[in-house]
Amino acid sequence: MVKEQKYIVAESLKDAIRAAVASEHDFRFIAGGTDVMVNRYQGNDNTTCLIDLTKIDSLKGIAKIGDYLRIGALEILEDLQFSDILRKEYPVIIEAALSVGSPLIRKTATIGGNILCENRCLFFNQSEWWRESIGYCLKCDGDICIATGGKNACFSELVSDTAPALIALNAEIRYMDKDDTHQVKLEDIYTGDGVLPRNLPSTAIVMDILIPLNQQIETVFFKLRERKSMDFTSLTSAVSKTAEGKLRIVLAGVDPKPVVIEGNIHDDWEDLIKKAYKASRSVDNDTYSRKYRKEMIKVFISRSLNDLNN
Amino acid sequence: MEAISLTVNGKEHNLLVEAHDTLAHVLRNKIHLTGTKLGCEQASCGACSVFVDGKIVQGCITPIMRVAGSSITTIEGIADKNKLHRLQEKFVEKGAIQCGYCTPGMIMTSLEFLESNPNPSTDEIREALSGNLCRCTGYKKIIDAVQAYVDNETNQDISNTKYNMVGQSRPYIEAQKKVQGKADYADDIQIKNALHCSFLRSTHAHARIIAIDTSEAEAIKGVHSVITGRELPVKFGVLPISQDETAMAVEKVRYIGEIVAAVAADTEAIAKEACSKIKVKYEPLHPFFEMMESCEDVGENEQIHDHCKFNNNIHKKAELRFGDQQQGLEETDNLIHAEFTFQGVNHGFTEPHAATAYWDENGLTIITATQVPHYLHRYLAKVLEIPMNRVRVIKPYVGGGFGGKSDPFPHEMIIAHLSRVLGQPVRVRFNREEVFLTNHGRHPTTMEMDLGVKHDGTFDVLDADIIIDGGAYGSFGVVTSYYNGVLLQAPYKIENFGFRTRRVYTNKPQSGAMRGHGAVNSRFAIETLIDRAAEKLNMDPCELRLKNFIDENTLTVGQYRITSNGSEESLRKVMELSGWKEKHGKLPEGHGIGVACGFFISGSALPIHWNQYPQSVVHLKVDLDGRVLVTSGASDIGQGSDTMLAIIVAEVLGLSLDNIFVVAADTTLTPIDLGSYSSRVTFMAGNAAKTASENLREQIVEAIASEHNVPISEINLQEERVFTNDKTVDLTWVEAIEIATRKVGALNSSGAYNSPKLGGDFKGAGAGLSPSYSFGAVVCEVKVDPETGHTEVLEIWGAHDAGKALNPLAVEGQLEGSWHMGLGQAISEQMIYRDGLLVNGNLVDYKIPTSKDTPPIHTNIIETIDPEGPFGAKECGEGAIHPIIPAVANAIYDAIGVRVTSLPLNSEQVLKEIKVKNKNTVSA
Repeated sequence: MVKEQKYIVAESLKDAIRAAVASEHDFRFIAGGTDVMVNRYQGNDNTTCLIDLTKIDSLKGIAKIGDYLRIGALEILEDLQFSDILRKEYPVIIEAALSVGSPLIRKTATIGGNILCENRCLFFNQSEWWRESIGYCLKCDGDICIATGGKNACFSELVSDTAPALIALNAEIRYMDKDDTHQVKLEDIYTGDGVLPRNLPSTAIVMDILIPLNQQIETVFFKLRERKSMDFTSLTSAVSKTAEGKLRIVLAGVDPKPVVIEGNIHDDWEDLIKKAYKASRSVDNDTYSRKYRKEMIKVFISRSLNDLNN
Repeated sequence: MEAISLTVNGKEHNLLVEAHDTLAHVLRNKIHLTGTKLGCEQASCGACSVFVDGKIVQGCITPIMRVAGSSITTIEGIADKNKLHRLQEKFVEKGAIQCGYCTPGMIMTSLEFLESNPNPSTDEIREALSGNLCRCTGYKKIIDAVQAYVDNETNQDISNTKYNMVGQSRPYIEAQKKVQGKADYADDIQIKNALHCSFLRSTHAHARIIAIDTSEAEAIKGVHSVITGRELPVKFGVLPISQDETAMAVEKVRYIGEIVAAVAADTEAIAKEACSKIKVKYEPLHPFFEMMESCEDVGENEQIHDHCKFNNNIHKKAELRFGDQQQGLEETDNLIHAEFTFQGVNHGFTEPHAATAYWDENGLTIITATQVPHYLHRYLAKVLEIPMNRVRVIKPYVGGGFGGKSDPFPHEMIIAHLSRVLGQPVRVRFNREEVFLTNHGRHPTTMEMDLGVKHDGTFDVLDADIIIDGGAYGSFGVVTSYYNGVLLQAPYKIENFGFRTRRVYTNKPQSGAMRGHGAVNSRFAIETLIDRAAEKLNMDPCELRLKNFIDENTLTVGQYRITSNGSEESLRKVMELSGWKEKHGKLPEGHGIGVACGFFISGSALPIHWNQYPQSVVHLKVDLDGRVLVTSGASDIGQGSDTMLAIIVAEVLGLSLDNIFVVAADTTLTPIDLGSYSSRVTFMAGNAAKTASENLREQIVEAIASEHNVPISEINLQEERVFTNDKTVDLTWVEAIEIATRKVGALNSSGAYNSPKLGGDFKGAGAGLSPSYSFGAVVCEVKVDPETGHTEVLEIWGAHDAGKALNPLAVEGQLEGSWHMGLGQAISEQMIYRDGLLVNGNLVDYKIPTSKDTPPIHTNIIETIDPEGPFGAKECGEGAIHPIIPAVANAIYDAIGVRVTSLPLNSEQVLKEIKVKNKNTVSA
C-alpha cells in the first residue's frame, strides 16, 4: 500500500515541529529545496511528508542582535550580497554564498539549507537504478562503502561552501526542538559520519546563524572546482585570522565534516598545513582524485596564510 | 491528490495535483504550457526557469504545493499578446536562438536579472546566465542579445534587406516561435490517449539473461503491456555493415544501461513502478572495459559479439598506406613521436530524446527527436518487419543533436511496436541519465603518432596507430575508424602517410558520431606534434603550418579532390587579429598563446546505403497564392537548414521569405534527404534546392517569354516581380505564376543532388571522400595557474572557410557553437566509468562550460566560393571544432612549458604534467 503523500506549508516554527512529530520520522523539512528536491528525484529521499518552512517569517532577516550578527536560516544565498551589514561586517560570507551552485540555484537556496545540505558522494548522488547497479552503499542501506572499495565507514563529503566561512568566523546556530531553543557552535553539529552527518534531532529546525561581532577578524576564502559556476565544491577553504594572529583554518569538501584547525599566524605553516592535510579524510568520490584534492589543501592554505600575512 | 489554484500568465487554473509534483511538470502536463523545457530535472540546466510572483525559480525543483495560489509567469506570458518583448526581439535579431531549447530559460533568467540590474556589464551578464546551459551558441550571441537590449539598441531596420538573400544575415525563420516557447519539440506534442513507456535497464555490463519474470509488473493496475527482447529480435544498426543491435537485449546484455524490458502504462509513474517490479536473473560473464584487453584473444571468455573475425573483440580494423612510410620514417630528419589518450565525451544537447508513435490507416507514424528520419524510416521497417510504405517518420523541432540523434534508436523501435500491439499511441521521454547511457558520443581513444619533418620544415611522413573504444555496439563506428586516419591527409601536404585504426567493442554504452566525427582526436594529436616540430626546428608554429598547407585545386595523397581551400587565409586572419607575432613565446610565465588548424568534409560523398537514389531531393510547388512550398527531407536540428533552404529558393526566384513555406523532415510528405550528419545539408540539400528553384525559374521564364514573345535572356526575377530588361513586360510574381500555370498546367519542380564520382581505386578509398572540404584555424590565449593547474581560456580567435556564408549570422552561430563545444572537450568534459558504469551521467558532474567559462570569441568567416557548393557554400557546422582543442593545449605549452597529451586538460591533468616537468628540471 503506497502511503499518501503530504505537503505541509508550515505557518510557524511550532506548526512545523508539530507536523514533524506527527509524521513519525517519515518527513523532511524543506526550505529552498535545491538539495532536497534533487535527492528526491534520485530516490535518495522517499519520505512521504514534506514540511515547507519557507513561509515562516521568523526565520528571515539579517540584523545585529546584542553581540551577534544574526542571519535568519531562510535568507536566500543570492540576496546576502544586498545586506549592508553583512557587506560591512563579514563580506566573506557573501563571497562564500556567491560561490554556491549557479545564480539560479542561489536564488532559491537558503543559507540554512546550505549549512545543512546532504553530504555528497559520486557513488551516492545517483539514481535508484544506478545505485542498484553498483550495489547499494552504506549511505543508502548497503553494507560497504563503494568509493573506498569496502570500508565500513561513509566518507560522503560536506559540500557546504558557507559552513567553512561561517565556522572560520566562529559562528553559532540556534535551533528549536520541541519547545526548546538551543544555541551551539556551528562546527559542533557535524558528526563526521557520512551516513548521519549531523547530530541535530530530526525534528529540530535551525532558526538562525549567529556570528560574534567585533572580532577584528580577516578571512580568506577559496573554492576548488573545474567550472566557474554550477559545480559542487571539491575543496572549500576559509582561513581566518584575528588581530592577535589567531588562526582558524576550516575546510569543506574533503571530509564528512568540516575540518577545523586552530593555530597562530606565527606557528610553523608547514605544521598547520600538515595538520589540516592529515585531518581530511577525503576519498576518491569526486570527479577530481583524492590525491589532487589533498594536494590542493596545501596550496589553498598556504595561499590563504600568505594573503593573511600581508 | 490536492486541489490548488494557480494563476499562470494571468489565467486562473484550478487543478488537482499530486502533493509532491513539481511546478514544471504541472505546467507542462496539466496546463500544457510546454515552453517550460525539461533538460535535466535536477536544477542544473535552467531550461525550466519561470517566475513565481515575479521571482525566478527552476520549475523542476519547485514543489507545486509551495506555489499554490501564486502567480506564475512562463515564457508564453512574456510577449504582450502578439508583440514580442524587446528582449525577445533582440534574441531573434542577434541570432541568439539555434535549437531554441534553452531559449525560454535564457529569456526568463535574463529578464529577472535585468530587473535588479538594468545596466549590467558583459561580465555581469555572463555571471547571471551561468546557471543556464546552452550547447549551440557558445553563449556569444545570447550575451550579445542581452547587451543589445541593455544598450537599448534600436532594432535593425530589415525592410531594405527583404530581398537580399544569399550573404545577408537573418534570424531563423522559426525564431519568433522559439523565442516565445511555442515551438513544439518531441515531448511537447500531445497525442490523445497516449500511453507512457518506460524501460528496465541492465544492471550488468556483460551477462547472460537467464530469466525475466514480468508477472508482478503486469499485474499492476494501469499497466498495458510488458515486453522483452524476444519480441523484437530483428537486428539493426545505422550502417548496413554493422547490424549488431536489437531493440532490447536478447539473451544477453552488453552494457550497464542496456534496455532489457519495456512497459507501456497509463502514466509515466505507473510505467516506472512496473519496471521496478520486473525481475531479471543474470549470469554474469567476464566484462571487457579496456581497449587493450578487447584487442586481445578472449581465451575461454565469451566475446561481446560472436561475429568478430577472430576470438577477440575487435569490431573493425581500418588501415591505409600511401607513399613509402617505412623509408620516410627511417630517413626523416626529425621524427616527433607521442602517445595520446582521450576520454569519451557526450553531445550534451539540451533536449533529451523523446518520441510518440501511433498507428492508423496509413500504418505507423512516429514523431521523434531525430537528425536522420531517413535511416530511422529504413530500420523501423526492418525491425517491425513491415514495408517502408507503412512507416512515416516526422521530425518536430529538435533541441540539438550534434550526432547524438543520428542513429535509429531502440526506444523508437519499442514504442512503435508497443503502439502496434496495443492499438494506442505510445510515448516515451528520456531523463538525462538515459541520454548519457544511450550515448553514441565521441569514442574514447588511444593513439600513437609519428610525424617526420625535414630540416627545412617540410612534413615528409605521418603515421598513426589508433584504438577507439566503440562500447557495446557498432553505430557509425566503421566510419569513425576510417575518419580517425584518413582525415589526417590534409590540410597539410604529406607524401608518406598511413594509419591503422582498430575499433573495439567494450561493455560500455556505445560510442558513435559526434560533431567533427572521427577526426577530432587525431587532429588534436597531429596539431600537437606540429607544435613540437616547430619548437624543435626553432620555427614559428604558424609559419611551419603555412609552409606545409596543401594547395587549392589539387589531390591529397589519398586522392581527395581539394577544390576551394581557405587554410592560409584563415590562419593569417587569426594570426593578425590575435597579435600572434607579438605574443607567441613572449608572454610572461603562466600566460600563453597557441594555434592549430582544421580540416573536414563537407558531406560524405558516398551514401551509407548503396543505391541509385539521389542524396538529396527538393520539391517546389506553387499556385494561386504565389507562395512556394519547399519540401525537403533535410532535418533542421537547430543548425538552421530550414532557413537555408528558404534563402536559396528565395534567392533564385527573386522572392522575399514571405513567399516561401518550408515543410521538412517528414518521410511521407517530403522527398529523400539522408539526414543531418557529416556536414552535408547545406552542400547537398542546398544544391538540390538551388536546382529545383532553377528548374522552376526556367518554367516561369519560358512561359513569360512565349506569352509576351520576348527572349528568355531578357527576363528577370527580382523583388517579387518578373520583368524584362526594358520593363515592357513587368509582372507581379502572382501574375507571372498565373501565366506559367496556364501554360504548363501545374507548376512544380524538383531538384536532386548526387556527389560526383570521386576518389581512388583502392579498398577504403571511399572513406572521407567529399565534394568539398572545409578549412580553418584557431588561436587562443590562456592563463595557467602553476600551483593548481587550472587553465583559464582568455580569448579565442577563430576563422573558418565556409566557402560562402549563405546566412552569416547562422554561420557565425555554428562556428561559435563548435568552438564552445571543443572548449568543453579540451578543458572539462569527460565520461567517467567505474567497472562499466557511467559515474557522471548528469549535468553537474559532466561539465559543459557555462557562460562564465566561455571566453570572448572573435569569429571570422572566410569565403573561398566553392565551385560546387550552392552559391559557393560549404560546411560550417563541424569543422570548426577541430582546431580549438589543440590550440588550447598548445597555448598551455606556451604558458607553462608542459605538453598534456590526454584530454581533458583539466586542472588535475595539467598539474600532473607541471609536476613531472618540475621534477625533471630539478633532477637535470
